[in-house]
Amino acid sequence: MQADRRRINAPAGGTAPPTFTFADHPDLLRRPTRTRKPDEHRKIFLRTGIVPSASGSAYYEVPPAKPAPSTGSLVPTSSSLKITCTVHGPRPLPRNAAFSPNLLLSTHVKFAPFATRQRRGYVRDASERDLGVHLETALRGVIIGDRWPKSGCEVVITVLEGEEDGWFGEGREKGGGWGMMSVLAECITVASAALVDAGIDCVDLVSGGTAALVKGEGGEGEAVVLDPAPAEHEVTAACVVAYLQSRDEITEMWMKGDAGDSTEGLMDQAVRAAVMSRTVLVEAVKEGLKVGGDVQPVNGAPKGGEGKGKDVDMTG
Amino acid sequence: MASTIALPGQLLGPTKSNTIGPVTHISGPNLYASIAGPLVSTPSTSKSSPAATISIPRPSGALLPELATTVIGKITRTNPRQASLSILALGPNGASVLREPLPALIRQQDIRATEIDKVKVAESFRVGDVVRAVVISLGDERAYYLTTARNELGVVMAWSEGGNVMVPVSWREFVDEGTGVREGRKVAKPV
Repeated sequence: MQADRRRINAPAGGTAPPTFTFADHPDLLRRPTRTRKPDEHRKIFLRTGIVPSASGSAYYEVPPAKPAPSTGSLVPTSSSLKITCTVHGPRPLPRNAAFSPNLLLSTHVKFAPFATRQRRGYVRDASERDLGVHLETALRGVIIGDRWPKSGCEVVITVLEGEEDGWFGEGREKGGGWGMMSVLAECITVASAALVDAGIDCVDLVSGGTAALVKGEGGEGEAVVLDPAPAEHEVTAACVVAYLQSRDEITEMWMKGDAGDSTEGLMDQAVRAAVMSRTVLVEAVKEGLKVGGDVQPVNGAPKGGEGKGKDVDMTG
Repeated sequence: MASTIALPGQLLGPTKSNTIGPVTHISGPNLYASIAGPLVSTPSTSKSSPAATISIPRPSGALLPELATTVIGKITRTNPRQASLSILALGPNGASVLREPLPALIRQQDIRATEIDKVKVAESFRVGDVVRAVVISLGDERAYYLTTARNELGVVMAWSEGGNVMVPVSWREFVDEGTGVREGRKVAKPV
Protein backbone atom coordinates (compact mmCIF):
# COMPACT_ATOMS: atom_id res chain seq x y z
CA MET A 1 0.00 0.00 0.00
CA GLN A 2 1.26 3.42 -0.85
CA ALA A 3 2.22 5.61 2.04
CA ASP A 4 0.40 8.79 2.91
CA ARG A 5 2.85 11.49 1.80
CA ARG A 6 0.71 14.51 2.59
CA ARG A 7 0.73 14.35 6.35
CA ILE A 8 3.23 13.75 9.07
CA ASN A 9 2.21 10.32 10.23
CA ALA A 10 2.89 8.62 13.48
CA PRO A 11 4.96 5.44 13.38
CA ALA A 12 2.72 2.58 12.27
CA GLY A 13 1.06 0.89 15.19
CA GLY A 14 3.62 2.09 17.69
CA THR A 15 2.11 4.92 19.64
CA ALA A 16 -1.13 3.62 21.11
CA PRO A 17 -1.22 4.91 24.66
CA PRO A 18 -1.40 2.21 27.29
CA THR A 19 -4.82 1.82 28.85
CA PHE A 20 -4.82 0.54 32.37
CA THR A 21 -7.66 -1.39 33.82
CA PHE A 22 -8.00 -1.77 37.54
CA ALA A 23 -9.34 -4.57 39.59
CA ASP A 24 -11.67 -2.19 41.39
CA HIS A 25 -13.41 -1.52 38.09
CA PRO A 26 -14.81 -4.99 37.64
CA ASP A 27 -17.11 -3.85 34.84
CA LEU A 28 -14.11 -3.16 32.65
CA LEU A 29 -12.65 -6.59 33.05
CA ARG A 30 -15.87 -8.40 32.38
CA ARG A 31 -17.07 -8.87 28.86
CA PRO A 32 -20.18 -6.76 28.28
CA THR A 33 -23.24 -8.97 28.02
CA ARG A 34 -26.13 -8.63 25.67
CA THR A 35 -29.08 -7.22 27.57
CA ARG A 36 -31.57 -7.29 24.73
CA LYS A 37 -33.30 -10.36 23.36
CA PRO A 38 -31.58 -12.40 20.61
CA ASP A 39 -34.12 -11.14 18.07
CA GLU A 40 -34.09 -7.55 19.23
CA HIS A 41 -32.37 -4.75 17.32
CA ARG A 42 -30.57 -1.95 19.07
CA LYS A 43 -32.34 1.40 19.05
CA ILE A 44 -31.61 3.46 15.96
CA PHE A 45 -31.51 7.20 15.45
CA LEU A 46 -31.77 8.29 11.82
CA ARG A 47 -32.32 11.74 10.38
CA THR A 48 -32.09 13.04 6.82
CA GLY A 49 -31.09 16.42 5.46
CA ILE A 50 -28.36 17.33 7.91
CA VAL A 51 -25.76 18.64 5.44
CA PRO A 52 -27.14 21.69 3.59
CA SER A 53 -24.41 21.76 0.95
CA ALA A 54 -25.05 18.19 -0.22
CA SER A 55 -27.98 17.15 -2.43
CA GLY A 56 -28.89 14.55 0.15
CA SER A 57 -27.58 13.50 3.52
CA ALA A 58 -28.40 11.40 6.53
CA TYR A 59 -27.05 10.70 9.99
CA TYR A 60 -27.32 7.34 11.71
CA GLU A 61 -26.60 6.48 15.27
CA VAL A 62 -26.88 3.44 17.46
CA PRO A 63 -26.46 4.56 21.03
CA PRO A 64 -24.67 2.25 23.47
CA ALA A 65 -26.95 -0.36 24.96
CA LYS A 66 -26.43 0.84 28.50
CA PRO A 67 -24.80 3.95 29.93
CA ALA A 68 -21.14 3.60 30.72
CA PRO A 69 -20.57 2.62 34.33
CA SER A 70 -19.39 5.54 36.42
CA THR A 71 -15.94 4.17 36.98
CA GLY A 72 -14.22 7.34 36.01
CA SER A 73 -12.35 5.43 33.36
CA LEU A 74 -12.03 6.84 29.89
CA VAL A 75 -12.31 3.39 28.31
CA PRO A 76 -15.88 2.81 27.20
CA THR A 77 -17.10 -0.72 27.73
CA SER A 78 -19.28 -0.90 24.64
CA SER A 79 -19.12 0.97 21.41
CA SER A 80 -21.84 2.96 19.79
CA LEU A 81 -22.09 3.63 16.08
CA LYS A 82 -22.21 6.99 14.38
CA ILE A 83 -22.31 7.31 10.61
CA THR A 84 -22.91 10.27 8.35
CA CYS A 85 -23.69 9.94 4.67
CA THR A 86 -23.75 12.63 2.01
CA VAL A 87 -24.97 12.21 -1.55
CA HIS A 88 -23.75 14.54 -4.29
CA GLY A 89 -25.65 14.32 -7.51
CA PRO A 90 -26.94 13.84 -10.03
CA ARG A 91 -24.06 16.02 -11.19
CA PRO A 92 -22.33 16.34 -14.57
CA LEU A 93 -19.54 13.92 -15.29
CA PRO A 94 -15.95 15.17 -15.40
CA ARG A 95 -14.72 16.60 -18.71
CA ASN A 96 -12.80 13.54 -19.79
CA ALA A 97 -15.48 10.96 -18.98
CA ALA A 98 -17.11 8.99 -21.77
CA PHE A 99 -20.82 9.24 -22.59
CA SER A 100 -22.91 7.21 -20.20
CA PRO A 101 -26.64 6.62 -20.69
CA ASN A 102 -26.93 5.69 -17.00
CA LEU A 103 -26.14 7.26 -13.70
CA LEU A 104 -22.55 6.48 -12.69
CA LEU A 105 -22.55 5.59 -9.03
CA SER A 106 -19.45 5.88 -6.89
CA THR A 107 -19.25 5.13 -3.21
CA HIS A 108 -16.65 6.08 -0.65
CA VAL A 109 -16.57 4.71 2.85
CA LYS A 110 -14.06 6.22 5.25
CA PHE A 111 -13.56 5.67 8.92
CA ALA A 112 -12.61 8.79 10.81
CA PRO A 113 -9.10 8.36 12.27
CA PHE A 114 -10.63 8.26 15.74
CA ALA A 115 -13.54 5.99 14.84
CA THR A 116 -12.23 2.76 16.28
CA ARG A 117 -9.93 1.74 19.09
CA GLN A 118 -7.24 1.10 16.53
CA ARG A 119 -6.46 4.39 14.89
CA ARG A 120 -7.17 4.67 11.16
CA GLY A 121 -5.10 6.51 8.61
CA TYR A 122 -6.25 9.44 6.52
CA VAL A 123 -6.08 7.47 3.28
CA ARG A 124 -8.68 4.78 2.69
CA ASP A 125 -7.23 1.37 3.43
CA ALA A 126 -8.16 -1.97 1.88
CA SER A 127 -10.99 -2.74 4.28
CA GLU A 128 -12.59 0.64 3.72
CA ARG A 129 -12.38 0.25 -0.04
CA ASP A 130 -13.89 -3.21 0.37
CA LEU A 131 -16.83 -1.76 2.29
CA GLY A 132 -17.25 0.80 -0.49
CA VAL A 133 -17.51 -1.95 -3.11
CA HIS A 134 -20.08 -3.85 -1.03
CA LEU A 135 -22.08 -0.67 -0.57
CA GLU A 136 -21.97 0.08 -4.28
CA THR A 137 -23.42 -3.32 -5.21
CA ALA A 138 -26.12 -2.87 -2.60
CA LEU A 139 -27.13 0.54 -3.97
CA ARG A 140 -26.72 -0.23 -7.67
CA GLY A 141 -29.64 -2.63 -7.45
CA VAL A 142 -32.08 -0.01 -6.20
CA ILE A 143 -31.19 3.08 -8.22
CA ILE A 144 -33.05 3.58 -11.49
CA GLY A 145 -29.95 4.61 -13.37
CA ASP A 146 -31.43 5.24 -16.81
CA ARG A 147 -33.39 8.25 -15.51
CA TRP A 148 -30.10 10.15 -15.19
CA PRO A 149 -28.08 10.01 -18.39
CA LYS A 150 -24.67 11.70 -18.54
CA SER A 151 -24.48 12.18 -14.81
CA GLY A 152 -22.74 10.80 -11.80
CA CYS A 153 -23.69 10.36 -8.20
CA GLU A 154 -21.29 10.17 -5.32
CA VAL A 155 -22.19 8.55 -2.02
CA VAL A 156 -19.72 9.53 0.68
CA ILE A 157 -19.91 7.85 4.06
CA THR A 158 -17.90 8.88 7.08
CA VAL A 159 -17.93 6.52 10.01
CA LEU A 160 -17.49 8.76 13.04
CA GLU A 161 -17.64 5.95 15.51
CA GLY A 162 -17.32 2.36 14.38
CA GLU A 163 -18.29 -0.94 15.86
CA GLU A 164 -15.57 -2.75 17.78
CA ASP A 165 -14.27 -5.90 16.12
CA GLY A 166 -14.40 -7.72 19.43
CA TRP A 167 -14.07 -7.18 23.13
CA PHE A 168 -11.00 -5.07 23.82
CA GLY A 169 -10.09 -7.28 26.78
CA GLU A 170 -9.26 -10.08 24.39
CA GLY A 171 -6.60 -8.08 22.69
CA ARG A 172 -6.27 -6.74 19.22
CA GLU A 173 -5.40 -9.92 17.40
CA LYS A 174 -8.65 -11.64 18.37
CA GLY A 175 -10.76 -9.24 16.33
CA GLY A 176 -12.09 -11.04 13.28
CA GLY A 177 -13.40 -8.03 11.45
CA TRP A 178 -16.92 -8.69 12.72
CA GLY A 179 -17.51 -5.02 13.40
CA MET A 180 -17.24 -4.31 9.67
CA MET A 181 -20.33 -6.40 9.06
CA SER A 182 -22.55 -4.27 11.28
CA VAL A 183 -20.98 -1.13 9.87
CA LEU A 184 -21.82 -2.24 6.33
CA ALA A 185 -25.45 -2.96 7.24
CA GLU A 186 -25.79 0.46 8.77
CA CYS A 187 -23.98 2.10 5.83
CA ILE A 188 -26.59 0.59 3.49
CA THR A 189 -29.49 1.93 5.55
CA VAL A 190 -28.05 5.41 5.94
CA ALA A 191 -27.09 5.61 2.25
CA SER A 192 -30.64 4.68 1.27
CA ALA A 193 -32.01 7.48 3.43
CA ALA A 194 -29.56 9.96 1.90
CA LEU A 195 -30.40 8.85 -1.65
CA VAL A 196 -34.10 9.40 -1.03
CA ASP A 197 -33.27 12.77 0.50
CA ALA A 198 -31.37 13.66 -2.68
CA GLY A 199 -34.45 12.76 -4.75
CA ILE A 200 -32.70 10.08 -6.79
CA ASP A 201 -35.14 7.57 -8.25
CA CYS A 202 -35.05 4.18 -6.57
CA VAL A 203 -37.14 1.06 -7.07
CA ASP A 204 -37.44 0.65 -3.31
CA LEU A 205 -35.95 1.61 0.01
CA VAL A 206 -33.00 -0.63 0.77
CA SER A 207 -32.13 -1.47 4.33
CA GLY A 208 -29.25 -3.43 5.75
CA GLY A 209 -29.42 -6.10 8.41
CA THR A 210 -26.90 -8.26 10.22
CA ALA A 211 -27.25 -11.58 11.96
CA ALA A 212 -24.52 -13.66 13.58
CA LEU A 213 -23.97 -17.16 14.78
CA VAL A 214 -22.52 -16.82 18.27
CA LYS A 215 -21.26 -19.16 20.93
CA GLY A 216 -23.87 -19.65 23.63
CA GLU A 217 -23.53 -18.90 27.34
CA GLY A 218 -20.39 -20.40 28.73
CA GLY A 219 -19.12 -21.41 25.32
CA GLU A 220 -21.70 -24.17 24.88
CA GLY A 221 -23.87 -24.51 21.80
CA GLU A 222 -24.50 -21.89 19.18
CA ALA A 223 -27.27 -19.38 18.76
CA VAL A 224 -28.30 -16.92 16.06
CA VAL A 225 -28.65 -13.32 17.17
CA LEU A 226 -29.85 -10.29 15.24
CA ASP A 227 -27.77 -7.13 15.11
CA PRO A 228 -24.77 -8.48 17.02
CA ALA A 229 -22.43 -6.20 18.88
CA PRO A 230 -19.14 -8.09 18.51
CA ALA A 231 -17.93 -6.99 21.93
CA GLU A 232 -20.80 -8.89 23.51
CA HIS A 233 -20.45 -12.19 21.71
CA GLU A 234 -17.96 -14.72 20.47
CA VAL A 235 -18.96 -14.67 16.83
CA THR A 236 -18.35 -17.70 14.61
CA ALA A 237 -20.18 -16.51 11.49
CA ALA A 238 -22.02 -13.40 10.44
CA CYS A 239 -24.14 -12.35 7.51
CA VAL A 240 -25.11 -8.95 6.11
CA VAL A 241 -27.89 -8.45 3.59
CA ALA A 242 -29.24 -5.44 1.75
CA TYR A 243 -32.93 -6.14 1.48
CA LEU A 244 -35.75 -4.54 -0.50
CA GLN A 245 -38.84 -5.37 1.48
CA SER A 246 -41.62 -4.42 -0.88
CA ARG A 247 -40.02 -6.37 -3.74
CA ASP A 248 -38.66 -9.16 -1.53
CA GLU A 249 -35.24 -8.91 -3.16
CA ILE A 250 -31.69 -8.96 -1.89
CA THR A 251 -29.20 -6.72 -3.65
CA GLU A 252 -26.15 -7.57 -1.55
CA MET A 253 -25.18 -10.46 0.66
CA TRP A 254 -21.95 -10.85 2.57
CA MET A 255 -21.28 -13.85 4.73
CA LYS A 256 -18.17 -14.50 6.73
CA GLY A 257 -17.08 -17.33 8.96
CA ASP A 258 -18.22 -20.94 9.12
CA ALA A 259 -21.97 -21.12 9.53
CA GLY A 260 -22.21 -24.82 8.73
CA ASP A 261 -25.75 -25.96 8.05
CA SER A 262 -27.33 -22.88 9.59
CA THR A 263 -26.31 -20.73 6.61
CA GLU A 264 -29.85 -20.25 5.39
CA GLY A 265 -31.18 -19.56 8.86
CA LEU A 266 -28.51 -16.92 9.28
CA MET A 267 -29.57 -15.24 6.05
CA ASP A 268 -33.22 -15.32 7.08
CA GLN A 269 -32.37 -13.68 10.38
CA ALA A 270 -30.29 -11.03 8.62
CA VAL A 271 -33.33 -10.26 6.46
CA ARG A 272 -35.40 -9.95 9.62
CA ALA A 273 -32.90 -7.46 10.99
CA ALA A 274 -33.10 -5.51 7.72
CA VAL A 275 -36.89 -5.39 8.00
CA MET A 276 -36.51 -3.96 11.51
CA SER A 277 -34.14 -1.20 10.43
CA ARG A 278 -36.46 -0.42 7.52
CA THR A 279 -39.21 0.66 9.91
CA VAL A 280 -36.87 3.35 11.21
CA LEU A 281 -35.79 4.24 7.66
CA VAL A 282 -39.41 4.76 6.56
CA GLU A 283 -40.16 7.03 9.50
CA ALA A 284 -36.97 9.04 8.97
CA VAL A 285 -37.74 9.57 5.28
CA LYS A 286 -41.30 10.66 6.07
CA GLU A 287 -40.04 13.02 8.75
CA GLY A 288 -37.54 14.47 6.29
CA LEU A 289 -40.36 15.18 3.85
CA LYS A 290 -42.41 16.92 6.52
CA VAL A 291 -39.53 19.17 7.46
CA GLY A 292 -39.02 20.01 3.79
CA GLY A 293 -42.75 20.64 3.40
CA ASP A 294 -42.78 23.13 6.26
CA VAL A 295 -40.12 25.21 4.61
CA GLN A 296 -41.98 25.64 1.34
CA PRO A 297 -44.84 27.93 2.45
CA VAL A 298 -42.23 30.42 3.68
CA ASN A 299 -41.26 30.93 0.05
CA GLY A 300 -44.84 31.98 -0.63
CA ALA A 301 -45.89 28.97 -2.66
CA PRO A 302 -47.52 26.26 -0.58
CA LYS A 303 -48.70 24.38 -3.66
CA GLY A 304 -48.95 24.70 -7.41
CA GLY A 305 -45.78 23.30 -8.85
CA GLU A 306 -42.14 23.14 -8.19
CA GLY A 307 -40.46 26.01 -6.41
CA LYS A 308 -42.73 28.71 -7.84
CA GLY A 309 -41.86 30.93 -4.89
CA LYS A 310 -38.33 31.33 -6.14
CA ASP A 311 -39.44 32.74 -9.47
CA VAL A 312 -37.17 35.38 -10.88
CA ASP A 313 -38.49 37.52 -13.68
CA MET A 314 -35.86 37.23 -16.38
CA THR A 315 -37.81 38.61 -19.28
CA GLY A 316 -35.49 41.61 -19.57
CA MET B 1 -55.11 16.71 -5.34
CA ALA B 2 -54.27 13.91 -2.99
CA SER B 3 -51.92 14.72 -0.16
CA THR B 4 -50.74 11.21 0.64
CA ILE B 5 -46.99 10.77 0.82
CA ALA B 6 -45.47 8.04 -1.31
CA LEU B 7 -42.16 6.34 -0.58
CA PRO B 8 -39.88 4.61 -3.08
CA GLY B 9 -41.19 1.14 -3.78
CA GLN B 10 -44.68 1.91 -2.55
CA LEU B 11 -47.46 0.19 -4.48
CA LEU B 12 -49.61 2.75 -6.28
CA GLY B 13 -52.05 0.33 -7.90
CA PRO B 14 -52.35 -1.96 -10.91
CA THR B 15 -51.34 -0.59 -14.32
CA LYS B 16 -54.81 -1.50 -15.66
CA SER B 17 -56.50 1.24 -13.67
CA ASN B 18 -53.61 3.73 -13.48
CA THR B 19 -51.47 5.38 -16.14
CA ILE B 20 -47.76 5.74 -15.50
CA GLY B 21 -46.73 9.32 -14.80
CA PRO B 22 -43.42 11.01 -14.04
CA VAL B 23 -41.29 9.55 -11.23
CA THR B 24 -43.15 6.25 -11.06
CA HIS B 25 -42.17 2.89 -12.45
CA ILE B 26 -43.81 -0.38 -13.45
CA SER B 27 -42.80 -3.72 -12.04
CA GLY B 28 -44.88 -6.69 -13.13
CA PRO B 29 -48.55 -5.76 -13.27
CA ASN B 30 -48.27 -2.89 -10.81
CA LEU B 31 -47.23 0.72 -10.64
CA TYR B 32 -44.79 1.82 -7.95
CA ALA B 33 -43.41 5.13 -6.68
CA SER B 34 -39.75 5.96 -7.38
CA ILE B 35 -39.10 8.81 -4.96
CA ALA B 36 -40.52 10.06 -1.70
CA GLY B 37 -43.06 12.80 -2.18
CA PRO B 38 -46.73 13.74 -2.33
CA LEU B 39 -48.86 11.73 -4.74
CA VAL B 40 -50.75 13.55 -7.46
CA SER B 41 -53.50 11.86 -9.44
CA THR B 42 -54.52 13.60 -12.65
CA PRO B 43 -57.86 12.46 -14.11
CA SER B 44 -57.69 11.31 -17.70
CA THR B 45 -58.95 13.70 -20.37
CA SER B 46 -59.07 11.22 -23.25
CA LYS B 47 -61.95 8.76 -23.67
CA SER B 48 -59.77 5.94 -25.02
CA SER B 49 -57.79 5.53 -21.77
CA PRO B 50 -59.92 6.43 -18.76
CA ALA B 51 -57.22 5.58 -16.23
CA ALA B 52 -55.92 8.45 -14.09
CA THR B 53 -52.25 9.37 -14.37
CA ILE B 54 -50.34 9.06 -11.14
CA SER B 55 -47.24 11.19 -10.65
CA ILE B 56 -45.08 12.55 -7.87
CA PRO B 57 -43.86 16.13 -8.27
CA ARG B 58 -40.28 16.34 -7.07
CA PRO B 59 -40.14 18.31 -3.82
CA SER B 60 -36.75 19.67 -4.87
CA GLY B 61 -37.83 20.62 -8.41
CA ALA B 62 -36.33 19.10 -11.54
CA LEU B 63 -32.74 17.93 -11.10
CA LEU B 64 -31.58 17.51 -14.70
CA PRO B 65 -32.78 18.87 -18.05
CA GLU B 66 -34.58 16.49 -20.37
CA LEU B 67 -35.52 16.76 -24.01
CA ALA B 68 -37.68 19.88 -24.63
CA THR B 69 -36.89 21.38 -21.22
CA THR B 70 -36.62 25.16 -21.27
CA VAL B 71 -33.44 26.22 -19.51
CA ILE B 72 -31.68 29.41 -18.49
CA GLY B 73 -27.97 29.59 -19.18
CA LYS B 74 -25.04 31.94 -19.46
CA ILE B 75 -22.81 32.14 -22.53
CA THR B 76 -19.25 31.12 -21.67
CA ARG B 77 -17.54 31.18 -25.06
CA THR B 78 -18.39 31.75 -28.72
CA ASN B 79 -16.81 30.82 -32.01
CA PRO B 80 -18.15 31.18 -35.58
CA ARG B 81 -19.79 27.75 -35.52
CA GLN B 82 -21.32 27.55 -32.05
CA ALA B 83 -21.81 29.24 -28.70
CA SER B 84 -20.97 27.39 -25.49
CA LEU B 85 -22.96 28.06 -22.38
CA SER B 86 -23.52 26.82 -18.85
CA ILE B 87 -27.03 25.80 -17.92
CA LEU B 88 -27.72 27.44 -14.57
CA ALA B 89 -31.43 26.86 -13.99
CA LEU B 90 -34.33 24.88 -15.39
CA GLY B 91 -37.75 26.16 -16.41
CA PRO B 92 -38.78 29.19 -18.51
CA ASN B 93 -38.19 31.49 -15.55
CA GLY B 94 -35.39 29.49 -13.96
CA ALA B 95 -37.66 28.00 -11.30
CA SER B 96 -35.27 25.29 -10.17
CA VAL B 97 -31.67 26.38 -9.83
CA LEU B 98 -29.07 23.69 -10.45
CA ARG B 99 -26.47 22.93 -7.82
CA GLU B 100 -23.78 22.76 -10.47
CA PRO B 101 -23.79 24.31 -13.95
CA LEU B 102 -24.16 21.92 -16.87
CA PRO B 103 -22.19 22.42 -20.08
CA ALA B 104 -24.25 23.02 -23.23
CA LEU B 105 -23.88 24.50 -26.70
CA ILE B 106 -25.99 26.21 -29.33
CA ARG B 107 -24.92 25.46 -32.88
CA GLN B 108 -25.05 28.19 -35.51
CA GLN B 109 -27.98 26.53 -37.33
CA ASP B 110 -30.02 26.32 -34.13
CA ILE B 111 -29.88 30.03 -33.26
CA ARG B 112 -32.97 31.12 -35.14
CA ALA B 113 -35.72 29.58 -37.24
CA THR B 114 -35.45 31.59 -40.47
CA GLU B 115 -32.53 32.40 -42.79
CA ILE B 116 -30.40 30.04 -40.79
CA ASP B 117 -27.57 30.21 -43.30
CA LYS B 118 -27.16 33.95 -42.74
CA VAL B 119 -26.91 33.75 -38.93
CA LYS B 120 -23.66 34.88 -37.39
CA VAL B 121 -22.93 33.69 -33.88
CA ALA B 122 -21.08 36.89 -33.05
CA GLU B 123 -24.18 38.95 -33.93
CA SER B 124 -26.41 36.73 -31.79
CA PHE B 125 -24.57 36.11 -28.54
CA ARG B 126 -21.74 37.55 -26.51
CA VAL B 127 -19.95 36.02 -23.57
CA GLY B 128 -21.90 36.73 -20.38
CA ASP B 129 -25.37 36.94 -21.97
CA VAL B 130 -28.19 35.23 -20.11
CA VAL B 131 -30.08 33.06 -22.56
CA ARG B 132 -33.36 31.18 -22.49
CA ALA B 133 -33.17 28.06 -24.67
CA VAL B 134 -34.72 24.64 -25.19
CA VAL B 135 -32.92 21.30 -25.05
CA ILE B 136 -33.03 19.52 -28.42
CA SER B 137 -30.59 16.73 -27.61
CA LEU B 138 -28.75 15.31 -24.65
CA GLY B 139 -25.79 15.76 -26.94
CA ASP B 140 -22.39 14.14 -26.73
CA GLU B 141 -20.45 13.07 -23.67
CA ARG B 142 -19.92 16.69 -22.75
CA ALA B 143 -22.52 19.25 -23.78
CA TYR B 144 -26.29 19.35 -24.06
CA TYR B 145 -27.46 20.73 -27.41
CA LEU B 146 -29.83 23.68 -27.17
CA THR B 147 -31.80 25.78 -29.61
CA THR B 148 -33.10 29.35 -29.52
CA ALA B 149 -35.08 29.02 -32.78
CA ARG B 150 -38.34 30.36 -31.36
CA ASN B 151 -39.61 33.86 -30.66
CA GLU B 152 -39.67 33.55 -26.89
CA LEU B 153 -36.13 32.07 -26.85
CA GLY B 154 -32.86 33.94 -27.01
CA VAL B 155 -30.98 36.50 -24.96
CA VAL B 156 -32.96 37.79 -21.98
CA MET B 157 -30.23 39.83 -20.31
CA ALA B 158 -27.21 41.34 -21.97
CA TRP B 159 -24.39 43.69 -21.09
CA SER B 160 -22.83 46.09 -23.55
CA GLU B 161 -19.16 46.26 -24.44
CA GLY B 162 -18.91 49.07 -21.88
CA GLY B 163 -20.36 46.82 -19.20
CA ASN B 164 -23.79 48.46 -18.86
CA VAL B 165 -27.03 46.51 -18.75
CA MET B 166 -28.81 46.83 -22.08
CA VAL B 167 -32.50 46.80 -23.00
CA PRO B 168 -33.98 45.03 -26.01
CA VAL B 169 -35.26 47.30 -28.80
CA SER B 170 -36.12 44.79 -31.53
CA TRP B 171 -35.98 41.08 -32.26
CA ARG B 172 -32.33 41.46 -33.22
CA GLU B 173 -30.93 44.35 -31.23
CA PHE B 174 -30.21 45.49 -27.69
CA VAL B 175 -29.36 49.11 -26.89
CA ASP B 176 -27.11 50.48 -24.18
CA GLU B 177 -29.23 53.30 -22.72
CA GLY B 178 -26.19 55.12 -21.39
CA THR B 179 -24.23 55.44 -24.61
CA GLY B 180 -26.97 54.69 -27.14
CA VAL B 181 -24.85 52.04 -28.81
CA ARG B 182 -26.79 49.19 -30.42
CA GLU B 183 -25.55 45.62 -30.37
CA GLY B 184 -26.88 42.63 -32.28
CA ARG B 185 -28.40 39.75 -30.32
CA LYS B 186 -30.92 36.96 -30.84
CA VAL B 187 -33.41 38.67 -28.54
CA ALA B 188 -36.01 36.65 -26.64
CA LYS B 189 -39.54 37.99 -26.96
CA PRO B 190 -40.64 39.10 -23.49
CA VAL B 191 -43.22 36.69 -22.06
